[in-house]
Amino acid sequence: MGSFTSREEFETMLGGFFDHLTVVPSIEEKLLASKLIIRFKYTDPDVVLVVDCSGDTVEIRRGDAETKATVEMFMTADVAHRFWFGKVNLMMALTRKQMVAKGPVPKILELLPAIKPAYELYPTYLRENGYARHVID
Amino acid sequence: MLPLFFEFHSPTKVVYGPGLIADLQAELSQIEARRYLLVSDRTLERLGLPARVAASLEDAGVEVVGSFLDVPENSEVSAVRACAEEAVAAGAEGLVALGGGSVIDTAKCADILLSEGGYLVDDYSGAGTLTRPLKPLIAIPTTAGTGSEVTQAAVILDEAGSVKLSFSDKFLLPTLAVLDPELTVSLPPRLTASTAMDALSHAVESYVSPQWSPMSEALAAGAARLIFVNLEAAVADGSDLEARGALLTAAAMAGIAFSHAMVGCVHGMAHAVGGLYHVAHGAANAILLPHGLAYNREVVGERLGGLAPFVSGLTSDEEQLDPADRVIAAIRNLAGRLNGAGVLATRLRDVGVPKEGLAAVAEATVRDGTSFYNPREVVAEEILPHLRNAY
Repeated sequence: MGSFTSREEFETMLGGFFDHLTVVPSIEEKLLASKLIIRFKYTDPDVVLVVDCSGDTVEIRRGDAETKATVEMFMTADVAHRFWFGKVNLMMALTRKQMVAKGPVPKILELLPAIKPAYELYPTYLRENGYARHVID
Repeated sequence: MLPLFFEFHSPTKVVYGPGLIADLQAELSQIEARRYLLVSDRTLERLGLPARVAASLEDAGVEVVGSFLDVPENSEVSAVRACAEEAVAAGAEGLVALGGGSVIDTAKCADILLSEGGYLVDDYSGAGTLTRPLKPLIAIPTTAGTGSEVTQAAVILDEAGSVKLSFSDKFLLPTLAVLDPELTVSLPPRLTASTAMDALSHAVESYVSPQWSPMSEALAAGAARLIFVNLEAAVADGSDLEARGALLTAAAMAGIAFSHAMVGCVHGMAHAVGGLYHVAHGAANAILLPHGLAYNREVVGERLGGLAPFVSGLTSDEEQLDPADRVIAAIRNLAGRLNGAGVLATRLRDVGVPKEGLAAVAEATVRDGTSFYNPREVVAEEILPHLRNAY
């Protein structure tokens, strides 16, 4: 069993962080430039988040299983959590099948430099939003 | 210092030998499949290679139930689909890919459809989308460059969206790679040079990658040594089997190295000039390798210097340089000598890249996925002077 027992808590926590990222100008600009629609399908617990960069603003949608995504990423909630601390090497995780990416992986790799600043923002976000117990040292 | 974590997974059986293609019975008897579809291209057909290989396979006791020879220069989804349909119709139990990277990548993806059915783009593009082993794939390279015969990746053009799709999965690793230098003797000098420089860029970039491991490092260094010692001999005399064999081996070693350690801004710049100005990948890497290393020099100088014992062709003055600078000088010298021999361009201007396009190349390099794995952050304004140097 993973570290997150509550589906609601994980969805609110990570969905909230994604919302937080969309108002960081340097990140938002690059996300919008990508035009990607990315569906994250997490397990243990099961949560679906869609990051839709195809419009004028970045939209984060909880539980959206309908929109046709450009890329779908599959991983456990624990792997996702560690990723946002910068503790998961994407290519290594894909090689080890800790993550599965369906769709154009190079487009995801293009986004990595854009989201790099998020690694520093994540622990701060957790502490400021009542999730300090999930901060990884 | 060792990396905190590394994984090394290279289950493809590699066999090497001049003329080995005529004697594969021992290897084929250990693979369950008995009925194979031969995948190749029309250029090799004109040289008579598919017929020769088919005869050898039959002699080895397996049945060649058909062939698919319409692989384009840059493989496309429609070719993969047609190849898979041919394999299914013929009742193939496995595939034999005879050719360069495009042929081998086509066979890898056709193997997905032969084994699993479904739709290539919607169901399988990406990384880690396969859940079980595919039917056996035997890869027989006729160029010494991409290393696709030992990697878990394939790149296929989706004509519908004009995008290159990548497929990466451990189940795409070929079952057997047959390295027979006799099959590469017809490769023209220009292609010999550019494909080998492509392999050298795989070796050097993986060596300095943040993703390096002691395993990838050893293979990368060994590949670099083989290329430095043998490339010019293979260019000068295409029938030199010793040199041809060394390049074929080096390409496979570098392929294993970079499929674990990744590549960086040299490939990023090469992808950019390839996408914007249709510069062939090997030729672009050959031009850009010393310039990408110069860009990374300040952050990986010590590491790059580790390759110094594996390079050659320096002047006595250059022998006194810092080890990292010796490596860069040796690569420049090698490319320069090949340029002098008329088989390799060393300037972007000579391959159709306009000077006013360099800023766009720099921007595209930053956006390329490889930039994330470059040892130095790729910043457009900072890499642009190096592109100007390459111009």
